[in-house]
Amino acid sequence: MRAYSPKQDVQKKSYYNDRFHVVPHLPRLNVEADEQFLSDIDVLKQKFTVLEAYIENGHLVVWIPAKENLKAVKFLKEKLAYDMMMELSAIDYIASKGGFDIFYEMLSLSKHKRIRVKCFIEEKEELFSVESVFKMANWSEREMYDMYGVKVKNHHNLKRILMPDDWYDHPLRKTYPLQGDETAAWYEVDKIFGKEARDTIGPEIRDGAAIDRYDTTRFARLGHEVPFGVDITDGKEPEHTPLAYQEEGGVGLFGVRIIKELDENKSVQLKKRR
Amino acid sequence: MQQVNRLKPFFENINFEREDNTMVVNFGPQHPSAHGQLRLILELQGEEIVKAVPTIGYLHRGMEKMGENMMYNEFLPTTDRMDYIASTSNNYGFALAVEQLLGIEAPRRAEVIRTMLLELNRIISHLFWLATHALDVGAMSIFLYAFREREFAMDLMEDYCGARLTHSAVRIGGVPLDLPQNWCEDLTKFIGILSEEIDKYEGLLTQNRIWRMRLENVGIITPEMAKSWGCSGVALRGSGFQWDLRKEMPYGIYGELDFDIPYSTSCDSYGRYKCYMQEMRESMKILKQLIPMYKGSEPQLMAHAPEYISAPKEDIMTQNYSLMQHFVLVTQGMRPPKGEVYVATESPKGELGYMIVSDGTPYAYKMKLRAPSFWHTGLLEDLLPGHQLADVVTIIGNLNIVFGEIDR
Amino acid sequence: MAQHKVNYLANGGAPIVLTSIDKFINFGRSNSLWPLTYGLACCAIEMMATGASRYDFDRFGTIFRASPRQADVIVIAGTLTKKHAEFMRRLYDQMPDPKWVISMGSCANTGGMFNTYATVQGADRVVPVDIYLPGCAPRPETLQYALMMLQKKIRREPASKAIQRKRLV
Repeated sequence: MRAYSPKQDVQKKSYYNDRFHVVPHLPRLNVEADEQFLSDIDVLKQKFTVLEAYIENGHLVVWIPAKENLKAVKFLKEKLAYDMMMELSAIDYIASKGGFDIFYEMLSLSKHKRIRVKCFIEEKEELFSVESVFKMANWSEREMYDMYGVKVKNHHNLKRILMPDDWYDHPLRKTYPLQGDETAAWYEVDKIFGKEARDTIGPEIRDGAAIDRYDTTRFARLGHEVPFGVDITDGKEPEHTPLAYQEEGGVGLFGVRIIKELDENKSVQLKKRR
Repeated sequence: MQQVNRLKPFFENINFEREDNTMVVNFGPQHPSAHGQLRLILELQGEEIVKAVPTIGYLHRGMEKMGENMMYNEFLPTTDRMDYIASTSNNYGFALAVEQLLGIEAPRRAEVIRTMLLELNRIISHLFWLATHALDVGAMSIFLYAFREREFAMDLMEDYCGARLTHSAVRIGGVPLDLPQNWCEDLTKFIGILSEEIDKYEGLLTQNRIWRMRLENVGIITPEMAKSWGCSGVALRGSGFQWDLRKEMPYGIYGELDFDIPYSTSCDSYGRYKCYMQEMRESMKILKQLIPMYKGSEPQLMAHAPEYISAPKEDIMTQNYSLMQHFVLVTQGMRPPKGEVYVATESPKGELGYMIVSDGTPYAYKMKLRAPSFWHTGLLEDLLPGHQLADVVTIIGNLNIVFGEIDR
Repeated sequence: MAQHKVNYLANGGAPIVLTSIDKFINFGRSNSLWPLTYGLACCAIEMMATGASRYDFDRFGTIFRASPRQADVIVIAGTLTKKHAEFMRRLYDQMPDPKWVISMGSCANTGGMFNTYATVQGADRVVPVDIYLPGCAPRPETLQYALMMLQKKIRREPASKAIQRKRLV
């Protein structure tokens, strides 16, 4: 029996861990540390349920329930002058928390401040689309669906955007291996030649250190190129090809030589252009 | 009954037999003017575009997933391949994000060198933009002239870090190498050559009747559209906003430098073109100010943070503990604090942001790369209808999109 | 790269005797190779730099053609992804014989640094490649060297190569 390997998070993990090392947390400041953020949070708290709010690395991070994402984003744009949305995506916490952390990264041009609105949704829960407020969400939510499988309601075109339309599974989930599963490995062969060609073409070589024993015969050395497949293992190579990389013997047409053969010993380096 | 042998339409989800008379043209993933792998499905009414559907994803290489499976220093060369025209700007954005996560600052000389490389990359990127945009619109000689200057700039980059295109010239915590002997003099010579040449390009294009007719009133991005679609960089500045992250939310040593931000109130392609040309001049101004700053700085290249950053190479090769620490950092990786950071820098294309979620392990929990060109391409859906077919090429070239960062 | 079950020594591997007509036709073919503009990613920038002022590609007789029907050689410059592989094969099939393929850069040779789910591990899983060109991104001089190697290869082959069946991949 082979050993059991957990499939919940198949990303690369560190092999050695120092069991006495305690990792610090990035410092989180109270919202009172910045007046602009304080006034924004006070206005927000009157309208929405703010689960948590703190300042991390110069950003105000606001946690709200997932049902209020559209209203909160709209409010931030219209009343609090956060008029650009820079990024929107999901973080996969299915193994630890059972869902995704969705974040909306917004920027205020007039106030020079950034805010991150975060909410938590279960794995199969659906979000409201913020496309009506910011058009950039059109493509960002498609990318989120493509990469994580987060479904978005009221989106006019929720299709895959980065992967091919008939791709199986959502690549950025933690359960998806970096090198892809079986359908991914044979995708291009199946698509172009059909499943029958899997044997002719052979599996992908994902090993970075793979050495083919035919490499010596098939690949050229600079200045000593030989035709494809010629056996040179016992040191018997054809005579030295001139560095001029020209047709050996020059080009002849019906016995008459029309291009001279270059002899590198007779070449002259010009000191000055004529 | 005889079955009529109909040709089955090849494209998925597109209906070929329609009542209205629009023609469906596929501006496919392979196209000399598509600037990469953009597939635009255009519906034309005569010569005018009625609907445009941009399709991306033909260069999706899984970089974000690679970020979750690689250590921070290991991931740095992968960020090179995002905006592959100005590689150091991606590397710098990533290094800055990790440094803010770790809470360290790069030393003075490293910051000066990094800013020099960034501005040089900005010049390289804008020259490339000019070359390909002019080539698409039809001014083919500008392509050769701009690439000639670009070769001089790439020679400078090659003298510094050894690579022409994919630099990896910065490290987390500073820079690995000091500038070579005559680099500053070569840079001064390059700036001299470039300022004359930019004047020549402007002389060729700016008042050119054909150029103006092709570019004015084409690709008008209204301010509301720009803000709603998340445009940044010149697409935003071309619509009247004076927003440049280097001036408004400064990072590094940009707070100490004296430069202006060009912007244009005519929201069309011609205004953006003038912004790009002026930005090249501003970059040259910044480079001139940086050379004396370099000469007056102390020679420390990497930050001193032994928990996260290895010692300098001389120490590693001679001292035992430095070697041991370097070994552990390279094989196991450094363990940053837990938390989330989003750091944005002004790359030549726009606002390039890195969102790093760390859970204390050497591998990031989530690495989201915010590429400005992603939304500039989405903008095409709203921007193209109403234009002629020949304007498609002008608009795509003018928006300065790079598919390495769109698809990641 | 793919593990092919192809017999590379089917020709015997021995040098082929060429007649004057063969040499003349090969001289013509090798000195005017018309590539297809097929830049996918970063290597495309180096290919453009090869075609630009300093490393002039035109002196080899190459003119970049946009349509595959008019091209002789396809330089796969950049990462081939699984979404794009189908179109790559379609473009290759649309090129008329005789045609050659140069795979430029690590991503086209073997998938490169992108050992991920969405990258084809080598363009030779999809099309038969003649010249592999290492580098990330390869310098323009390397692309010129590859083209010269391809020219040398063309001059060694008999001119009626089109009658032989090209291998699938």
